[in-house]
This record gives sequence, C-alpha cells and structure tokens, in this order.
Amino acid sequence: MRTRRAVTDRLFWGFCFLAFALIAAPSVSMLISVAHQAAPAVGWSLFSQTTKGIGIQNAILGTLLLLLGVLIVAGTIGVAAGVYLAEFASGRSEKVLRFFSEVLAGMPSIVIGYIGYITLVVQFHWGYSLLAAVIALSVLVMPYIVKTTEVALRQVPSVLREGAAGLGMPRYSTLGRILVPTALPAITSGLIVALAISTGELAPLLFTAGFSDHNPRLQLFHQQVPYLTNVIFTDLALPGKRPHATSAAAALVSLVILIVLIVAGRIVAGRARRNTARMSL
Amino acid sequence: MSEQTTSAVTESQARRPEVTTVGPPVPAEMENPVFVVENLDFYYGSHQALRGVNMKIGRNEITALIGPSGCGKTTFLRCLNRLNDLIAGTRVRGRIDFAGKPIYDPSLAAIELRRRIGMVFQKPNPFPKSIYDNIAIAPKVNGMKVNMDDLVEECLTRAALWDEVKGKLKASAFSLSGGQQQRLCIARAIAVKPEVILMDEPASALDPLATIRIEDLMSELKKDYTIVVVTHNMQQAARVSDRTAFFNVDDSQGVRTGVLVEMGTTHQIFTSPTDQRTDDYITGRFG
Repeated sequence: MRTRRAVTDRLFWGFCFLAFALIAAPSVSMLISVAHQAAPAVGWSLFSQTTKGIGIQNAILGTLLLLLGVLIVAGTIGVAAGVYLAEFASGRSEKVLRFFSEVLAGMPSIVIGYIGYITLVVQFHWGYSLLAAVIALSVLVMPYIVKTTEVALRQVPSVLREGAAGLGMPRYSTLGRILVPTALPAITSGLIVALAISTGELAPLLFTAGFSDHNPRLQLFHQQVPYLTNVIFTDLALPGKRPHATSAAAALVSLVILIVLIVAGRIVAGRARRNTARMSL
Repeated sequence: MSEQTTSAVTESQARRPEVTTVGPPVPAEMENPVFVVENLDFYYGSHQALRGVNMKIGRNEITALIGPSGCGKTTFLRCLNRLNDLIAGTRVRGRIDFAGKPIYDPSLAAIELRRRIGMVFQKPNPFPKSIYDNIAIAPKVNGMKVNMDDLVEECLTRAALWDEVKGKLKASAFSLSGGQQQRLCIARAIAVKPEVILMDEPASALDPLATIRIEDLMSELKKDYTIVVVTHNMQQAARVSDRTAFFNVDDSQGVRTGVLVEMGTTHQIFTSPTDQRTDDYITGRFG
C-alpha cells in the first residue's frame, strides 16, 4: 500500500517536473541562442553608437522613452478607470465600461496600430511620432491595467471601508488614503507587466512610431521614434552577418529589460502578498 | 414534590448571570435619551430584518443588545450610524432621532453623523498603517485643528494602550496582538471626538484576558461617551451594561424577522424579565 502511494506520488511529481521543463526549456534555450547570436555585436559600441553606426543606443533610448510615455498615459487613465470600475460604477455605466474594456483587450495589436495610423498619424497630421506611438501602445495595455487595478481594489477587505466610513471619513479620502495605498503593490505589479508587454510589441509601433537613426527627442509630434523591436525586425531582413548579430543584440537587450521588469514585478507582488497575509481580516 | 420545585427554581436562578455593573444603578425611566427609535423597520432587499423596534438609549450609559444569532441586533446597531447605507439594496422605515434630530433626514449627511457616532467592529480592523497614523488619519481628514501628537497620546492613553506602544508609534498596527489592535480601534474611534461609540461584539475575537481589558475600558469610557454594545455573551452584558435590550427572531408572521422583545435596566432584565422568551434566553434554555 505504502509503496503504491509512493509510486503514485513520484509519478505525479515527475509529471509536474516534465510540465515545468517543457515551459522552462524553450525560454532558456531561446535566451541562450539569442545571446549566442548576439555575441559578435555585443560590445561598448553597441551602446555608444546609434543604428547609423554599429550600435543600438537610439533604439534603447527610444524604447525606454516609449515605456515612460506608456507609464504616464496608460498608467493614469488605466488606474483611474480601474478605480472607477471598482468603487463608483454601478449598473449601466459599469456594464458599458467593462464591455469596451474587454473589447479593447481582445483587439489585435496590428488593428490598434492601423487605427492609430489612420487617425493620429494621418488625420490629425501628427506624422510618425512619439505621441501617436505612446497612445497606440497605451490603448493596447490599458485594459490590462484597468483589470489589475479593479481586482486589487476589490481585494481590499471591506472592513477597512467600513472602518473608515465609521470614522466619518468621506469616500474620496477613504479611497486616497486607505484603499489605494493598500492596493498599491498589486496595482504597481500590474503596471510593470503592462510595461513588459509594451517592450515586446512591434505591430502598433510599425504604424505609428516610424524609425530614426538618431537618438529620440522629447518631441511629441512629427519626430520619428526608434525602438528595439524595429531593429530586431528590420536588421534580420538585411543581408550579412553584422545586421543579424545586431538584430539578436536588440532582442537580447529587450529580453534583459523584460527580465528586469518581471523581477521588479515579482518583488512588488511578493511584498503585496506579505502585507495582505499579515492583515488576516 | 415541593422540594423538587424549590430546587428547580434555585437552579433557574443559578443559571442567571450575576449583574455586577459598576457605578450607581440607572433609573428605570430615562431623562435625556441620546437616541429615540420609533417603529424601525429594516429591509435587506425584500427580506425584512427588523420589525417595529422602539427604543431609547440613555446618555453616558452602556446599553447592551443581546439575542440569538440572526435576531438583527447588529443590523440595528448599524442603523444608528447609517452604516447600512453602504450596503446596496437596504431600506429603512420608521424614525431614529439622534440628539433630537432625525438621522434619516435626507438633509443630514451620513458622514457628519458618523463623526459624532464612532464604531468599533467585531474583528479588529486597523488600517494597514502605523499605530500613529491609525489614530491621526481621521482627525487629519476631518480637518481637526489639534496638536496631533497630543491627540494620539491622549487617545491611546484613554484606550489603555499608551504604555504598551509609546516606544513604537511608527510600527505597523499589524505588529500588535488582537487585543491591542482592538484597543487601537477604540482609540481610533475616540480620536474624532464622538458622542457615542457603537461596538459590535468588540471582544468576540479576543481571549478572556483581552476581553476583561476591553470591558474595563468600556466602564471607564462611559463617563464621557454613550456606548451601545452588541454582545453574544450574556455574562458580558450583565457585567458591563446599564441597560439591556433583548432581540429575538420572530417567525409568527411566516418570515423570520428580528424584533425587540423587551428592554430594561440590566438588573431588571437579568433578575425579573417580563417576557418568557427573555427568561428562557438568559437562563440558557435556548439561543
């Protein structure tokens, strides 16, 4: 009896390990192969020169600038909409907002890019520009931020709301001083994942950002923005070993940014879990 | 035969909790009630949770609300500061006057009311902030012009917590024990200078020693505050309260609804209740 149980136990854990390996192996092998292919291009010049030379400095800065823009635009609107859904919306307005948020979440990124091109780039005469690119990316990741913010706020124990109400605190103070700070770690980890998604997107940017061999400038309109995924995409199509290595190097840098964001998200989410666990409400 | 009857009576008497409220006994008639409740009905959606409650609550007295689970005593308590407003689909009929004014008057802001009527909940619910900020946050939000350090010390002292936390005011409120957290919540409640403190089974999640501390604190606080306390614990009601209201579930009209069976001085309720249901409950025959 005992041995049979032990065997079942082993089998189960074996299966779980296999599943884990099936997930881990591709990402590890991808990382290794990207690093391997990028090796010839990795060096000081990669970071000190722009794509005009043999570096990708402009693309790295452009991607970071886009992330900053997404954080400001999608972060503000997404968190506000999430707060609205969790705390204020009721009945019809809640249903309508939730419906559109879900439609947006399912929208293919290339469609978002295309619509951004038609309206922002062409109709508004913004040209390929920072703002058009930031808005397209923001539209893409906003539903995610809305959802995590809403869930984070709903998970704040209702006894805290009642406690604040029982002290005669108005709703906005309760929200600003108690609910949002309590939910902040979870909201932050949602924002970080949204940034991670933005790092890897190409489709919406192809239609809105354009590209430039120069470093990006803090100019919202009529100034094309270089970014990493574009380098990955275009250099891979060029003939020769050098561009292929540069493409791989851009991919490697994207992965590093991604890993940094994910680790940061983990740390923040871990802190959130500890806080709520201690609350025991 | 007669011997048996006598012993039965003694047994019944022995089952009654001993009334040991501190201070002079309250008069049977109330002169200056803080709350006057008239014909209060309360509904959760279509379900009626309270029917026809009439009650007066005396100033600087401790009023205990007792009764079996589901009799509506907590619902009633939460009507007094309109906290039930937070629950969608609830409805009130009848009248509650607080300090001579109807609290369900639409012109009266619930927020204003709740500043004057503090609340302590069943489970300690400190905010996820420091001990200091737990006390200071509501006075700050309410724009009270006071020296905050003094206020924090005063409230913690009144809540009999100061000596235990004075060295770690910046520590998280969750670093305190359950009993300390509950006293912190009491300190938080008195920080906004309320006139009344509502307590919803404030000691039910605490161990016996912490419970005694909370009860001592209540007796101490009634000098300055009116206290209304819901309790499952009849000994507690007998120990601390001046008046006791007994709620029960009534299903005579086909639905289970909370009603106020009787109210009187705690001494009267626990020694000579007028209603058989009260007698049965306090002697432990049901509930």
